[in-house]
This record gives sequence, C-alpha cells and structure tokens, in this order.
Amino acid sequence: MSFDERSLIEHVTQQRWYGAKSRAVAHSQVLDSVVLRTAEPQFALALVEMRYETGAHDIYQLLYALREGELELDGLADPALPRELVSAMRSGLTLQGAEGIAEFRPIEGFAGLGRELIEARSVGAEQSNTSIVFDEELILKVFRRLEPGINPELEMLRFLTEHGYPNIAALGGWYAYSGGPLGATLGILQEFVRGGLDGWELALDEIGRAPERFLARLGRLGEVTGRMHTALASDPNEPAFCSETPSVESLGLLTATVDEEIERVFLDLPDDDERLAPIVGRGEEVREHLRLLTHAGATGKIIRVHGDYHLGQTMWVDDDWVILDFEGEPARSLTERRRKRSALRDVAGMLRSFAYAASAASLQHETEAPEGWEEQARARFLDGYLETVDPALLPAGQPAIDRLLAVFELEKAVYELRYELDNRPEWVGIPVAGIQRLIEQTTATP
Amino acid sequence: MSEQWFERDPLWFKRAIFYEIHIRGFFDGNDDGAGDFRGLMEKLDFLQWLGVDCIWLLPMYASPLRDGGYDIADFFAIHPDYGTVDDFKEFVEQSHQRGIRVIADLVMNHTSSDHPWFQESRTDPAGPRGDWYVWSDTDELYRDARVIFVDSEPSNWTFDPVRGQYYWHRFFHHQPDLNYENPEVQEAMLNVLRFWLDLGIDGFRLDAVPYLYERDGTNCENLPETHEYLKRVRAEIDARYPDRVLLAEANQWPEDVVAYFGNSDGDECHMAFHFPVMPRMFMAVRREDATPMYEILERTPSIPHNAQWGLFLRNHDELTLEMVTDEERDYMYTEYAKDPRMKINLGIRRRLAPLLDNGRDEIELMHAILFSLPGSPVVYYGDEIGMGDNVYLGDRDGVRTPMQWTGDRNAGFSRADWAQLYLQPLMDPVYGYQAVNIEAQLRTPTSYLRWLHRFIALRKEHPVFGLGTYQPLRSDNSRIFAHIRRWEEDIVLCVHNVARSAQAVQLDLSEYVGLVPEEMFGRTSFPAIGDLPYLLTFAPRGFFWFQLRQPR
Repeated sequence: MSFDERSLIEHVTQQRWYGAKSRAVAHSQVLDSVVLRTAEPQFALALVEMRYETGAHDIYQLLYALREGELELDGLADPALPRELVSAMRSGLTLQGAEGIAEFRPIEGFAGLGRELIEARSVGAEQSNTSIVFDEELILKVFRRLEPGINPELEMLRFLTEHGYPNIAALGGWYAYSGGPLGATLGILQEFVRGGLDGWELALDEIGRAPERFLARLGRLGEVTGRMHTALASDPNEPAFCSETPSVESLGLLTATVDEEIERVFLDLPDDDERLAPIVGRGEEVREHLRLLTHAGATGKIIRVHGDYHLGQTMWVDDDWVILDFEGEPARSLTERRRKRSALRDVAGMLRSFAYAASAASLQHETEAPEGWEEQARARFLDGYLETVDPALLPAGQPAIDRLLAVFELEKAVYELRYELDNRPEWVGIPVAGIQRLIEQTTATP
Repeated sequence: MSEQWFERDPLWFKRAIFYEIHIRGFFDGNDDGAGDFRGLMEKLDFLQWLGVDCIWLLPMYASPLRDGGYDIADFFAIHPDYGTVDDFKEFVEQSHQRGIRVIADLVMNHTSSDHPWFQESRTDPAGPRGDWYVWSDTDELYRDARVIFVDSEPSNWTFDPVRGQYYWHRFFHHQPDLNYENPEVQEAMLNVLRFWLDLGIDGFRLDAVPYLYERDGTNCENLPETHEYLKRVRAEIDARYPDRVLLAEANQWPEDVVAYFGNSDGDECHMAFHFPVMPRMFMAVRREDATPMYEILERTPSIPHNAQWGLFLRNHDELTLEMVTDEERDYMYTEYAKDPRMKINLGIRRRLAPLLDNGRDEIELMHAILFSLPGSPVVYYGDEIGMGDNVYLGDRDGVRTPMQWTGDRNAGFSRADWAQLYLQPLMDPVYGYQAVNIEAQLRTPTSYLRWLHRFIALRKEHPVFGLGTYQPLRSDNSRIFAHIRRWEEDIVLCVHNVARSAQAVQLDLSEYVGLVPEEMFGRTSFPAIGDLPYLLTFAPRGFFWFQLRQPR
C-alpha cells in the first residue's frame, strides 16, 4: 500500500487528535502497517510518522480502509470496521506487519466479549484518542499519538482491577504493537458505563439548579478519590506502584519546573488579546507567589496517580462515581505520565476543575454558580478526601498540605493556559481568571 | 508486552546530552562515605530534570583501584564499594524508566595485574592462559612505541620474576596488555561486552582503544589489526544489540580519529571524542580570538552519516594538551595553570569554573560554543553548578571531589562521618558546598544551573545541533565566532563574541535574504535579512543563537 504524502499530511493534521497544531510539518510517512481484514473492504492499521520542521517527530496510529481500490484514511468512519479490532482481541490474534507485530489480547474473566457486536458509534469531542461504543456495552479507545512503553491507562486499570478498587469501568482487552519503530499500546477495550451522567455536564447542570445536591456528590467524589489513592499505593511488592519517598531535591525540581513553565508561557502570551489582559505582564508576580509557597515544605510520598484528574473524567452512575481515563495528560511524555507523583496533584486537578465548572456554567449554561460555591465545593471534596486517603501519603499537617496543593493548582492553571492557547483559544478566559485569582490571593495573604 | 522505553532510533546518540559520572563521588546511598549505585538511583530524578539523555559511568568493575578503576580485576563484577551486578541492573532499568540511557567505561587493552587471567598467565606459561598477555624474553621488541605515562614508567616492558619474562604494558606496569593475537582473548572480550549488553547497558566508552595490537617497527598505535577487531565488535553489536553505541577514546588528531568510525558507512565506533577542539576553546576565550576555533574545525574531516563527535569542556581527566603545539601548550600553561601544582602529565588538572575564574559570562559562553558545534556534548558532574577543584589533592582527585548537593553536612553527599568520606567536599568560601550546591541553585531562578537547564532544553528542541551541517561564517572581526547549522527546514545562526569587550560584526548572510532571525531564548524577531551585510552587536562575552525563519 502506498500513501500519498500530501494527502497523509492533510488528513492527519486535520484530525482532532492531532496534537501539534502549532507546528509546521515537513514530512510524513508510513512506518509500518498491519492488515486486520483482508476481505473487501480491507481494513488495516498504520503507524504514521509526522516530521516537523525542527526535525522532531511524532508517531500516530491511523486506521484505514481500502474499498474497491479506493483508500479511505479514516477507517473508523464505517462502523462495521472497528468491530474487527474487538474480534481480533477476542481471538487473541497476533498479526504480522513488515517491521513488527500487532498483538490483540482479551482480559481473562471479562464477560463482555462473549457476544456478537451489532451497533457501533463513535464518541465525539475527544482531544487525543478516538473511542467507539459498541451496543452501549463496550467502549474501544484507540490511542492516536504513540510513544514507546505500556500505556498508563492499560497499566492502571489492570492494577486497580486486580486490587479490587470498585469505582472504575472493567477492562476487557487491549492491543499493542511491537517492532522496529517502537513498542506501544495501541488501544484498550472497556466496559461501557451505561446510563451514566458525565461529571462535568452534571456539574454545569446542577451548579445553578441544585447546588446543594451537587455539593453532596462532591463530598462523595472526595471519598472515592481518597480510596483510589489508597488503593494505588497499596501494593509494596509491585515496583511500578509501591509508594516511594521522593528524593531530597523533589520540591526544588518541582518548583524549578513550574517556575520555568510560568516563564515560558508568559513569554509567549500575545499582548494584543484582551482576554489575556488581566495577567499579561504579571509573570513575575506569579513566580513570586510560587517562591513563597515552596520556600520550605514537606512533600509526603509519591505514588502512581490518575494524572489528568478533573470532573470530565468522572461519571455519576447508580448513585456513585466511576473514574475514567487513566491515560494521564496527553501532552506529556509517556515516561512523565507513568512517573510517581504526589497524590495532591490529582486533588489540585479536581479543584481547578471546580473553578472551571463555575466559570463554564455561566459561559455555557447561562446559570450563575451561587456566591461562594467554589469555596464550598473545595471544602466538601477535601473533607471527603482527607477522610479516606491514607494520611501517610500526604505531607504532615494541614498547612503543608495546603501549600503543596496550591503549588499544584498553580502548575495546573499555567498548563491550562498553554493548552487553551494552543487548542481552544475561546476558553482561554478560564485559566486567565484562575491565575488572576491566584495572584490576587498573593496580595491578599502575606 | 515487553517493556520498551525508547523508540527504535539507531541515531539517538547524535542528539543526546551526555552526563559523566564518577560513581564514588555522586551520592552515597549506604552511608559508608563513598558513592554507589543505590545513591545514584536516588538522584535520577535530578538528572532527568536536567535533561540528560545518557549517563556515562567511569569504570565500575572490581578493581584494586591503582588507576581509578581503569585497572580491572574482574570484568563481570561490580566494585563492592559501588554495589552488586543486581544493583547495576536495577539502576539501568530505573534510568530507562526516566528516558535516560547508560553507557560505561570499558578497558579492552589491558587488565589489572591482580586479574586472575594474569595470575594464571604468569604462574602457568604452558597453561590455557599462558598466551593471554604479551610476554617476551627480552625488552627489545616494539621499541618505536612511546611511553605514555612518562612521569612514572621508564619502559613499556616490565620483568616478571615469577614467570621470568618481560610483559608488555602501554600504561602503568600494573596494567599488563592483553594479547589480542590470541583468538581466545578476542572472544573473551566479546563475552565481556555481551554480558553487560544483555543486562541492558546502552553502550561503552572504549578506553585506550588505539593500543590493542603491537607490531614491531611501528609505533603500535592505530594498527590495521586493531581496526579489524573493532569492526568485529561493531558487527556483533549491529547484529544482536540494536541502538547501542561504542564511543572511542582516542586522544589523537581528528584526521587520525576518523579511522575509528570505520569506512564511509561507519562500521567501527559510533562516536569518538574530539579532543583538540576543547583546548582551543579555552585558548580562543583567553586570547579573545576565534581563529583557533575556525582552524581546528576546518581541520576536522567529515564523518559517516551515522557517526558523531563527542564534545566536552572538562572531564574526569586533566585538560589534556597532547593535541596542541608546544607553543600553544606553553601559552595554556601560562594562562590556565599559574600554580605548577595544576599541571599533570601533559595537561591541567582543573575544573571548568576555576579555569574560567568563575566568570558566569565566560562559563555561559563556553557552553554556548560547545552546544552549537556539531557533536554531542558531555557535561561533567558538578560542572552544572560550577563546582571548584582542590589542586592540593594527588593525581586527578582534585576534580573528583564529592558532588555538592546541599549546604548541609558533607554537602548532602553522604550521611557517614566526615572523616569517613572518600574525599572531603570542597569548603572554600568561593566554591565550597555552602556557596555552590544543587539545592540552592535549584531554588534560584537566575542560577547557573537553572540557566543550563533551560539551555539544554533549547538544544534538545532542535535536532539541527546534533544532526545538521556546519558552515563557518568568517567575518573581518576575528573576535567573533559565527557559523550556520542546518538540517532539513531548520536553519540556525550561532554567533559568539569571545572578547572581553563589546563587539560589532557584519555578517554576510546573502544566502538567506528575506529570512527573519528569531533569537532562540527570548523568541524575539530581529530585522529581516536584507541585501546589506547583517549587523549585530554584542555585549562582552555575549552570544546570540537565531533561528532563521520565513517571515510570518
């Protein structure tokens, strides 16, 4: 199969999951492909390399179809084809490419694979993957940008399942490539959570309408989160998961990393965007705030964490929360995402998410969060969290917890700022407001 | 699915930042006063943060340590001070988890006289190892081979009263040369390589590689047989161990060193150090004249596409002055080794910061030049914070003092008693651990460490520095060192002022008319390149790196 480089570049760069929208692509080529279905229409997966002008590159997974000699670069558009991926898992196939192999494996004891799949629909609005739902029972997540190593989503779900953590959707199978270009997880199959309400949507819905009810749900979310961290740190014999004491430098390294990220983001801020007006030119204030927070402090333990924790990764179903998407922040490298970190990093992500929700409720749903809602949401969540989390994982004493939490919130807000600038400029006002609030806090509290 | 930490990338080393570690001096993980693998593992987060792609370990093997571990007594064992083979394996895995590769020093030319092979060879001449070393009834052979350690060794032959014969050694007399004429020795050394490669190591720095074979009537360096053997080693690696690297230590002129890359497809070592460029950088900065830089790079032949130079400012050895003229050496001694204690063999035993009088501008400028050149830079542990040296310590120990992690007891290097430390950390007011340490520099946004961290990140964003072509850009201002690096669409202009005074230069950029130079640190656009020579002005010891971009 030969690919036309120009149409390949055009196709990939137009996808939602394409992560380098601000970079100029110099070249593109298919590194390997593995045929999944030889009957008409043919269906195959390909590893596509995108080379940028600077010479850096990324590898993406493409699923394509060949129908009557016509190449269709979006092979998932035809709902019949992704089924092939699931049946390959069910059969535990190993398929050969030119440079390596693709392995498809089921998880033993997973019941959902037993029957024929009828319907398939794709899930919209995803940033970095493509997901297909089959018969409202199974969900297949196809990872697009590939990096060598096991994907944390597969690794985490497997661990949490084995250690009896209930608030997740069961893992059903996975497929992976290994060979010349790299070895990487390509996708996973999970139980589809039916009738669930997306935590983010639920928040926007209830913030104005039923704020008290949602606050109660957040208390529960805190508990579920605390238990998740306790479970993740529960196996001292599993090197990839056991809790560790961070190195002496860890707080210094964290501070330096966040500090430089602040510096870089502020350097890149366009000065003609009025949505940025509240923070433009105030990078030094933000850095000063960071220095105050990290002047001294304890770090607690480091453990495997969710890594990209916010309301959008949760679902309310059958009167409880289910936690989704253990892939980590897609913009970070895979080794970064698999690193152990403070559990408070997840907590900070969720707290930032409350700020987001409060702003988005008025932006999108035209309902205003009640006065003081965000503070209450934080308090409820933290109460629930501190009740269930193993205290040995956190720094000793509330002031130390608060300080470290604030560092992670700042890190998060700065990350959001860059993310929105690169991907969704119309959302940029939210992290701007968040950072502005943090600076103003500095001036308020000595 | 098996664990794979890296993309297949046979050329990873061309874009890598190397970091050289003296294990004994890095971090003490078991409180016995000397660094070890346990301790090293605790500091991997720091190295990852710094942006290190590959750790280069000084010799870690069992050894009587009469030559800093370059006298190996067992190729298959870790020195007990450092840990065990299992510790080493775990260290490699933990490094890989952080995206860091590991290479280690390996001495193929000789062993320690304590090695059981040598003991067998001297006591049982007719036995299986009788012919594993180079024995002779007289000390007459190979007279044209120079003595390298002139300060301590009168001859390359030493009489062994046990066997009643002379044995050959190119270095210290306690380091007998292996006899590579013997096929069993060739195979034994391949087994050593396989052992460590199977444990996951990403390659070797091959110490003293030009001396493997001897041939009467020659200087016994760089012999064809030596190259033949290296080709055999490379073929074995290419066949069984993808993405591993061989780095040759051959302190020779670049035109001689290129032979160690093999033929035009590169069938010997992947990398070799470029020794002569380093003293010329120091010379250029001291003389305020970039000419020596331009000259040595002109004298550097092109290398195979899959090969790379290793570049460094300082390392664990002396700043070697073998590859300069006598006149240049005198100049270097006068300028950089005012105290005779600073000299050793043909070199200067000092660290980077003291060599540059601790001048921040000078240290940054030297790194800028180093990072701009075609090759992969090596950072020597401690130089990332500007550690000092102690010229009163013997041999090269002065540049091997404990890493200064904090301002606490023992510089945060060890929890052992002060007196128990293998060497005491520096305590002087300028370079001592209370003034110069990782912790303090991490916390200070303007520190040298933080600057280097950002600089490393910048270099890594642009593969052009590792992969691109080099084109010198001479001007009529000899105080300016300017050149263009180019790879695919990325064009980078690097201009450095080696003078102590402000300078202006007009560069001929007619090839790039219409492009806009964008300064790479602050991403500030400069005026577009027009038909006139491009004028730039510099602060003393200042430099600019620009990416030449299409106008937006």
